[in-house]
Amino acid sequence: MSIATALPTAVTGHPPVDPSSLRDKVAIRNLEFYYGQSKALKGITLPLYENKVTAFIGPSGCGKSTLLRVLNRMYDLYPNQHAEGQVQFDGINIVEPGLDLNLLRARIGMVFQKPTPFPMSIYENIAFGIRLYEKLSKRDLDQRVEQSLRRAALWDEVKDKLNANGLSLSGGQQQRLCIARTVAVRPEVILFDEPCSALDPISTAKIEELIFELKEDYTIVIVTHNMQQAARVSDYTAFMYLGELVEFGPTDKIFTSPTDRRTQDYITGRFG
Amino acid sequence: MVDVTWGGARVGAQDATERAKALNKLRLGDVIFHAVTRSAALLVLLLLGGVMVALFLGSLPALTTFGFDFVTTQSWNPVTEKFGALAPIYGTLITSFIAMLIAVPFGLLIAMFLTELCPMWLRRPIGIAIELLAGIPSIIYGIWGLFVLAPFLQQYVQPALIATFGNVPVLSSLFAGPPYGIGVLTASLILAIMVLPFVTSISRDVFDAVPPVLKEAAYGLGCSTWEVMRYVVLPYTRVGVIGGVMLGLGRALGETMAVTFVIGNAHKISSSLLAPGTTISATIANEFTEAVGDLYTSSLIALGLILFVITFIVLAIARYMLLRIEKRVG
Repeated sequence: MSIATALPTAVTGHPPVDPSSLRDKVAIRNLEFYYGQSKALKGITLPLYENKVTAFIGPSGCGKSTLLRVLNRMYDLYPNQHAEGQVQFDGINIVEPGLDLNLLRARIGMVFQKPTPFPMSIYENIAFGIRLYEKLSKRDLDQRVEQSLRRAALWDEVKDKLNANGLSLSGGQQQRLCIARTVAVRPEVILFDEPCSALDPISTAKIEELIFELKEDYTIVIVTHNMQQAARVSDYTAFMYLGELVEFGPTDKIFTSPTDRRTQDYITGRFG
Repeated sequence: MVDVTWGGARVGAQDATERAKALNKLRLGDVIFHAVTRSAALLVLLLLGGVMVALFLGSLPALTTFGFDFVTTQSWNPVTEKFGALAPIYGTLITSFIAMLIAVPFGLLIAMFLTELCPMWLRRPIGIAIELLAGIPSIIYGIWGLFVLAPFLQQYVQPALIATFGNVPVLSSLFAGPPYGIGVLTASLILAIMVLPFVTSISRDVFDAVPPVLKEAAYGLGCSTWEVMRYVVLPYTRVGVIGGVMLGLGRALGETMAVTFVIGNAHKISSSLLAPGTTISATIANEFTEAVGDLYTSSLIALGLILFVITFIVLAIARYMLLRIEKRVG
């Protein structure tokens, strides 16, 4: 069975890319990551192209979520975790100590595996993040909240109950609320950590559609267990295994003619 | 009956009857166990009921003699046998209120430090120190309050308070009069120290119960630690924190020994926090030995009944709040 027929979506919908139009938004070079003494990432070198969707795939424990959490320094919240190497983001190495983490996290937003609405109203969930950085008038704030909710394809569903608690929404709506919240802060990069793994197929389709639209304005990285999803939404795919980057390239190529044996085994479902 | 192979041995029908016998014996043990545990549990209810009935019957003479005036007048005169509980009730409420006013912010700040900011190696020592603070017998707080804290307050703090607020309206009456050292303010401070461990350890536990991913999401937006605590963790744990505060309040309301040492034991309501006052429990502890006459004794028991009711309500609210947050977290 050829891979192309197994994953029909992988080979459609992605026009060939002119390589000269690509710009590195983030450049990861020789990145090593440690949980205490144990090494979780080994010499990762990888570009994340601007206005493209890059998917990290690989079996559980391969380090894909770890890599994502390096990009916004989320690991800093926990002791005994540290990174070495370079992650260049607009000319700064973000794994260096002494960086303004709050600013970094405003510029590199994150959407989590489980929806995480804050314990406040729908409106406040969005406005909260905006107020951290900007002093807007009530009118401008309202406008920005609406804009963000529209961007996350949630506005029509919640416009009449903006004062309801964020937790009263369904799982899929909550996840879109979290995306709206992330977008509202105007990041440059958005990290998605298995954003659909807790959602039903219809909500998943909506989120995927959204990711496709969002890449016009943002650089997107998505970690996923679902290979069809990676094939559907991403332009570039990185396959990781045991803390190493095995293969990186245009999604079409990774899914149709991978160069590494392990990549082929994984995407055809032989392990993982 | 089909023979069953079990661990390599064959179990026949004969074995089965023997096993049934053995099981029967066990069942009898179970019945006894059930009865013993149930009666032990029922004993608790019986005791609680007994205490309530005894308090009520004991306070009946005072309540029938003075009626509602008992809780609205403040004259407490054993000679003329006129008893009103307003001064001790006021003292109990005001000392507990001030104690919570001091202990709650400190307790929350300590809990925030312990859960979010404290380096790992320092967490245990501070945590243990707080639990030890809760374990110090109240009589020791009393002695320390009388011989160390009260003189210190009298010499340094109270004169400064009087000088600072002497010309400020409202506040000047709160800090009026001579610095005795002992008084309502000193009792409140001692109570605050005693209640602090309760507020801290419960807040720490509920803060720890916040899903890490929720905090990560807030940090992921670029929130500072303070913003995460203030806007995400505190609202999320609000109910549990209030429960902890209520438990601390329950302790403060009933605390006897330490307060009796430092409050001054004066049956009057004074606008000044520096003046001596009394609380329900301090009054009972001080006066029971000298209570001659049935009405005097009955009035003291009635005081106890009032305290019982107040603490019961506070603790019931606390339990209810904690139950609600457990439901949400679990």
